[in-house]
Amino acid sequence: MSLPEFKLLRPRNLADAVGQLAQHAGSIRILAGGTDLLPSMRQKLFDSQYLLDIRHLAELKGIRPQPDGCVEIGALTALTTIAHSDFLRQHYPVLPEAAKTVASPVLRNMGTIGGNICLDTRCLWYNQSFQWRKSCGFCIKKDGDLCHVAPGGMKCWAAFSGDTPPALLCLNADIEIASPAGVRRVKLSDFYTGDGVIHRKLQLNELVTRVFLPASSSGYRGVYRKLRIRGSIDYPLAGVAIVLKRSNGHIEDARIGITAVNPAPLLVKGATELLKGKSLTEDLAEAVGDLAAQTAKPLTTSALTPEYRREMIRVFTKRALIAAAGD
Amino acid sequence: MNGDALRTENRELRTAMANDRRPATTDFSIIGKSIAMVDAAGKTTGSGKYTDDLSVPGMLYGKILHSPHPHARIKSIDTSRAEKLDGVVAVVTGKNAPNPFGILPVGHDEYALALDKVRYVGDNVACVAAVSESIAEKALELIEVDYELLPAYFDPEESMKAETGLIHDNKPNNLEKDYHHAFADPDKAFAEADYIAEGRFLANEVTHAAMEPHSTLASFEIDPHIGNPGRLTVWSSTQVPYYLQHKLSLVLEMPMQQIRVIKPLVGGGFGGKSEVIPIEIIAGIAARAARKPVKITYTREEVFWAHRGRPRTIVDLKTGVKNDGRITAVKARVVQDGGAYCSYGVVTILYSGALLGALYDIPNIQYDGYRVLTNKPACGAMRGHGTVNVRFAFESQLDEIAAKLNIDPAEIRRRNLLQPPCITINGLRVLSYGLPECIDQVVTRSRWNECKGKLPKGRGLGIACSHYVSGAANSIIRSDMPHSTVNIKIDRDGGVVVYTGASDIGQGSDTMVAQVAAETFGCSLNRVKVVAADTDLTPIDIGSYSSRVTFMNGNATLRAAQEVKKQIAAAAAKKMNCAPDELVFRNDTVNRKQLAGEGARATQAQPIVSGRVEGQILRGSLQQKRKDEGPKDSMTFEEAVVAAIDFHGALSGTGSYAPPAEARGGKHKGAGVGPSPAYSYSAQVAEVSVDEDTGEVTVHKVWAAHDCGRALNPVSVEGQIIGSVWMGMGQALTEELVWKDGLLMNPGLLEYRSPSSVESPEVEPIIVESIDPEGPFGAKECSEGSLAATIPAIANAIYDAVGIRLHESPFTPERVLAALRAKKNAKPLNLTEGVDPTAPTKFREHGGSTCFKGKGPQRHELDPARQAAQPGDTE
Repeated sequence: MSLPEFKLLRPRNLADAVGQLAQHAGSIRILAGGTDLLPSMRQKLFDSQYLLDIRHLAELKGIRPQPDGCVEIGALTALTTIAHSDFLRQHYPVLPEAAKTVASPVLRNMGTIGGNICLDTRCLWYNQSFQWRKSCGFCIKKDGDLCHVAPGGMKCWAAFSGDTPPALLCLNADIEIASPAGVRRVKLSDFYTGDGVIHRKLQLNELVTRVFLPASSSGYRGVYRKLRIRGSIDYPLAGVAIVLKRSNGHIEDARIGITAVNPAPLLVKGATELLKGKSLTEDLAEAVGDLAAQTAKPLTTSALTPEYRREMIRVFTKRALIAAAGD
Repeated sequence: MNGDALRTENRELRTAMANDRRPATTDFSIIGKSIAMVDAAGKTTGSGKYTDDLSVPGMLYGKILHSPHPHARIKSIDTSRAEKLDGVVAVVTGKNAPNPFGILPVGHDEYALALDKVRYVGDNVACVAAVSESIAEKALELIEVDYELLPAYFDPEESMKAETGLIHDNKPNNLEKDYHHAFADPDKAFAEADYIAEGRFLANEVTHAAMEPHSTLASFEIDPHIGNPGRLTVWSSTQVPYYLQHKLSLVLEMPMQQIRVIKPLVGGGFGGKSEVIPIEIIAGIAARAARKPVKITYTREEVFWAHRGRPRTIVDLKTGVKNDGRITAVKARVVQDGGAYCSYGVVTILYSGALLGALYDIPNIQYDGYRVLTNKPACGAMRGHGTVNVRFAFESQLDEIAAKLNIDPAEIRRRNLLQPPCITINGLRVLSYGLPECIDQVVTRSRWNECKGKLPKGRGLGIACSHYVSGAANSIIRSDMPHSTVNIKIDRDGGVVVYTGASDIGQGSDTMVAQVAAETFGCSLNRVKVVAADTDLTPIDIGSYSSRVTFMNGNATLRAAQEVKKQIAAAAAKKMNCAPDELVFRNDTVNRKQLAGEGARATQAQPIVSGRVEGQILRGSLQQKRKDEGPKDSMTFEEAVVAAIDFHGALSGTGSYAPPAEARGGKHKGAGVGPSPAYSYSAQVAEVSVDEDTGEVTVHKVWAAHDCGRALNPVSVEGQIIGSVWMGMGQALTEELVWKDGLLMNPGLLEYRSPSSVESPEVEPIIVESIDPEGPFGAKECSEGSLAATIPAIANAIYDAVGIRLHESPFTPERVLAALRAKKNAKPLNLTEGVDPTAPTKFREHGGSTCFKGKGPQRHELDPARQAAQPGDTE
């Protein structure tokens, strides 16, 4: 499969990048790590005239703790850098935990945190070659008007399959988005739409530039559990991130995020309230697991059956809680 | 054959063998040493050339248009728009080469490009040759094909009921072939059994996933005057260059002598390149039409469509035993989902039955095998061809029986051993038989007796055995032609060139051939150059499949080398005033026997005066000096070679190998498949743990003992054992082709999950050497026999760990969890949605290609989805 023809733009700096993005809005895509974009282009999922190559923009790289206690992570920071960061491991352990499970070492060297946040949703009926998709009459996410996963409805159920966003949701992360109009800062939890086709609230002339982790999320214990068939390479088939703070043997605060079982990564509603002020018991962990499983709406967008994947959200939540709350 | 006659015959065979015991030589200088592959440097530095690395001047790129439908009649193909696209040189369709072909003489049912019908999603329809890959891809979109859709069949048991709308008109009930064998008296034996186990096992479809996708470069010599294409040269990633030459000749209607097939480096075959794949012929058709060289390389998706892997197999197995665990009879009904074409299918279904024999002593066998056509890519040969899925069923059932009768699983296998030399009830001759030692080795090394059943909760050990042929005793083309022939030529400076038709596909056959030649000549390995798999240069070898190369091409090499050695010895003996059989060839010298030890020491001490160092003139004078000094007790290899060339005029020889008549099997219908001159044996113990909440299985260690006769290159043998175990583990735990209405849902290495290095267990390879009386230096096969044992060993270990018996492979976490739930009577897990490849009964009821008309969202007016969408449809 050949790459479609495109013109590669290499902006000198961020301002330049934003300018070029706006100039070609609609016919341009951003190349950061390229680990997802390039295979998808070969499958003719994208046919942009331009690629905006921002890999060399140093101002978008690096993990920078701020005086007010929060930390700023450049969108182009490699997942390997995040997985190995001593600072993050000490203060925000859930993020490096999640980052180190992404794909394989080689792909983590290339892949970026910004790319992982913006990652396209995935589905067995979508991530296929042009010829393959043509064989099934295409699907609602691309070139077609029918969802093969849920043929009755008109909604796309392609699953969001990033590993780091559930961890970032638990950390109450904000992201910074740049456009010719300036920069805006949004809560990550407001970034995703929950629809498989247009899965993020990002205008065609906008670029994710930074991730902010608030000081208030520092010092939480963190655990990420990922369901996959192979120990490496695979996208998550289900993922659970947990942050938890203890005091005097009780849970002071906790948040749970899940991924790969809905078109968006989600925080499990009600989990914090259920856990707050309690000491963790088997029954409590089980109850929270049930809650997480109810939040998950997996469909046959990937390997393994939906029922099994939902079941694993339950088991993994329970196990992650026990691991996070233990001594 | 009846049991009594067989016993008499086996007794005679044993007596004959005992009288013919030759002492095994163990004093080798190159055989049995772990040496690097002769092509390792090029492969590891990247300088080695695979087919896709090649290019020739003026070369075009070919791209193939595939069918989007599982079963349809082609009403018309319009290529005119594609032909007009700038950069397109030729567009070819089935009409350009309408002759059918197929690997088996009984299965010529394929067309390189579809003629009137397509039979699976991915079937080949047309090919564009253009100046670039992207132009060729664009041109594919401009080809208009009008299809008439036909009912399609996806499940073999459904397909067998079909009476109309057949996949091939000459195959009633979509049945490619069925065989019904009964050896001795199975019914009586079941009646006499103390215990009978019965069960259905299901092994899902897996594929080779070789690293290198198929690639072919075809180039015609163009007549400079009239511009017509003449001789054809084809470079192709193939395991079978001579079959390719033959099938090209058939389809292109050219004499074989006009076609030269060259096999460059091949990045793995595992059976996926062991027959002629349409791409190889399409490249030739396109190159002829374009009058330019054309290269086609499959995308990974196209490799999955070309496939030829292991079919989904349903095994209904019944085993009868006495109370002491002795097997009285086995009955197997095997249904294979063969896909749309015959491929190796007839052979596969026969192997599945024949290889019930030759591992254990089974006095009564009944076998009913059905190879069924379905509208999916053709299945064919894959590592462990035919035996793997039945072995999974058999070894699992044997484990169930052992548990039922309270016999140790290792012990029940020991109680059913053969007593070789013997001929089995289904006509397979077994001479060397290392299985008992294999079992002993894995039992000892894994501390089986101490650990079995005593590991912590959720952890367990399982044992299983397997075997495989060292080449088929009957070639797929019925002829008296030797299966392998090798030529050897030696130059005046002692350089040995071996011309072998054997195809090195990464398994190391070039290295094996070099080792056998060097050992025979007693010369160093770097003197030997191997010219392999080039139909213009090398004599016929039927190919690298059914693990035949070491045994057959090794024997041919040995015979060729012995013939040449005889000529050298005759000349050298004359010079040394002794009889030729007094000479010993070793360490690049030829010595008189009584001085062999001294000679070897002398060569160690003295610097060798060689022509390569001293030059031609000095060598001449050296020879003169030697001549003047009179007869010697020792000559260098080069001196001996020069003497022989002076004497004979040239130094070359030929050796060939054909399996002995006694090894070619019985007389019943289908008896040709299964017999082999020798069988390899394997026993394995796997240690696994099972997570009872998630169903995830982790393989911690596998002890794998393999009887390979003699390990010619031990490190290479170990690599093959580890590779087999690893590939078997893939089939056991993660690998599975998932189909949805004839559409392959995972045609890529991301979703078709071969194990990664993370979950690969420690494998302890144990080499057992039974020294086969007919193998080259006693060697047998080592690349396939170990695979089949891994799957049941893991299944049996899972049973030991958590007490569940898995009847369907792969043992994915959800299948394991479902079985665990069922055992505990807990809430059942619904697995019917989504992953069950048997599920669809109607052809794409939710839209899809039945309703597809044109690109994008233009759907058929009857498509329910479209009607629902209409109110909001503003177009």
